[in-house]
Amino acid sequence: MRMTSKRSSDYAIEVGVLAPDRNLPQKAGRKIWLPMLVLALIAFPVAVVLAAVRSNEIATAGSEQTIASLGHLVPAVMFIGFASVFAAVSFAIARILGEFRVGGGKLQESSGTQVRTLKMPATAKAFLALMMMAMMALVGAVVLHFIIAEAISNGSTYSLGHSEQWSIWLEGVRRTGVAVYLAAISLGLATVIEVLNFQITRVQELPQEKPKAAVS
Amino acid sequence: MDGRLDLRSVAGANPGAGSGFKRAGIVLGVAGVMAVMVTLVANIVTGNLVNDPHGAITVGKGSAWAFGLTITGFGALKIGIALILMGILVTLWERIGAIKTALPSLMGVGDAGTPVAPGEFESPYGRATVAQDEPDELLIHRMARTLWLPMLAMGAMALLAGFVVSLVWSDRVAGDPLQAAHLSAVAQGLQFAGEGFLLSGVSFLLGTILGSLRKGGAEVQKHLGVPINTLRMPVSAKLFVGLMVAGLMVEIGQLIAYFAVATFDNPVSIASYFAWLGPVREFGLGLLLSGIVLALATIAKALGFQFHRLSEVVVHGS
Repeated sequence: MRMTSKRSSDYAIEVGVLAPDRNLPQKAGRKIWLPMLVLALIAFPVAVVLAAVRSNEIATAGSEQTIASLGHLVPAVMFIGFASVFAAVSFAIARILGEFRVGGGKLQESSGTQVRTLKMPATAKAFLALMMMAMMALVGAVVLHFIIAEAISNGSTYSLGHSEQWSIWLEGVRRTGVAVYLAAISLGLATVIEVLNFQITRVQELPQEKPKAAVS
Repeated sequence: MDGRLDLRSVAGANPGAGSGFKRAGIVLGVAGVMAVMVTLVANIVTGNLVNDPHGAITVGKGSAWAFGLTITGFGALKIGIALILMGILVTLWERIGAIKTALPSLMGVGDAGTPVAPGEFESPYGRATVAQDEPDELLIHRMARTLWLPMLAMGAMALLAGFVVSLVWSDRVAGDPLQAAHLSAVAQGLQFAGEGFLLSGVSFLLGTILGSLRKGGAEVQKHLGVPINTLRMPVSAKLFVGLMVAGLMVEIGQLIAYFAVATFDNPVSIASYFAWLGPVREFGLGLLLSGIVLALATIAKALGFQFHRLSEVVVHGS
């Protein structure tokens, strides 16, 4: 077992006598992860059905307008799914971090020691910031896909003529959004390691801090 | 490693190794994001050339290598995530060692050592079992411990093979459009199968973490001489396994379908198949990611149960 020379006071911490509650992102994570997952599981099959319709239009030499319009609708719906599922992953990680915060606090409270809780680490702040940026990129791309699909469906020849150009641009934006989301998730998971390291340090201190009356 | 692939021996032999995995994972993730940013620039440039009568070849070439590089970048990010999960596993085992050492002197006075009849009870976190001995390892946890590394290795190989094919595809755009379309099918199939294997590797790593929480929790309770309470497999864990298997099957199916398309001679048929295969391969990844969400939710539940049990032992001594 690691006997670390680091002490819990070497970390940025909050000190109290009672276990802390979940912070706002962790509370949100607890409530939102499941609705986000459900939304994703609805969007994915809808996108596949729309893709099948588009494939049939191509195979049967259907209208160029319909094919182009569906060419924007399919990624729009598919990326509602991806934006939702990545949000669900992020909120589930926040939920894990919440369990560490509350559980670690309750264990210290039960032990009759000071309750020391790690302040939000830089990786967690970066996790939240990147998650929001990625979400904005994906939602922005989805909204633009819907606008272009609508314009093509309404007979805009300009939109039809520039449909492929918009597809290529928005593909780049979507891919960047996914990459940033994956980076955010990496940082969220990296925060779990930081929290675990803090807990290892803290749990090693507890026997020395335990009030003698409670030991007997 | 002792061949069990749960990274427990790393925790014993190299304390603090988890942070090394974390750093490596973040570095790989940054490399992945940079690769994708390069392709964003490529997409902006090629997008500007779409309506240029002389730009078709450049657009075709750019789309080909940008696709390959993007998916390789995603792969780097996912391998980075896998490395960080390995760090979590190592650190989890260190935490179990620390708890085993500290808890005996924190245990309250209670009915420790009183035999408890084996059976089940409803905990605040779902159905749980009580036993005097450590529970057997679940089949899915054994599978996860065995398969996470092969899955990651297969994923990385398929991704790199697909990236090389995408470069050849880019090279053939001007000379032989039909061959370029065939190579496009092979590159897409290989790279998305690679993504599927990587996400399966990540899923198995999450399964290994769940197995370690179960085993570690039981070890701590046995060490303390208290009845061993273990959470029964929650519904979310069962759904996680189902979604992961379904997602992997879809990715293998799309690989076969893309290889079949690589034998087509009719460009309209190829375009028609590409139109539905693209979303299908993404659907497969979506299922795998949905499974990962449920695995993470299960980890949160298992952690909640573990903290609840530890606090119970500290307060009541049993």
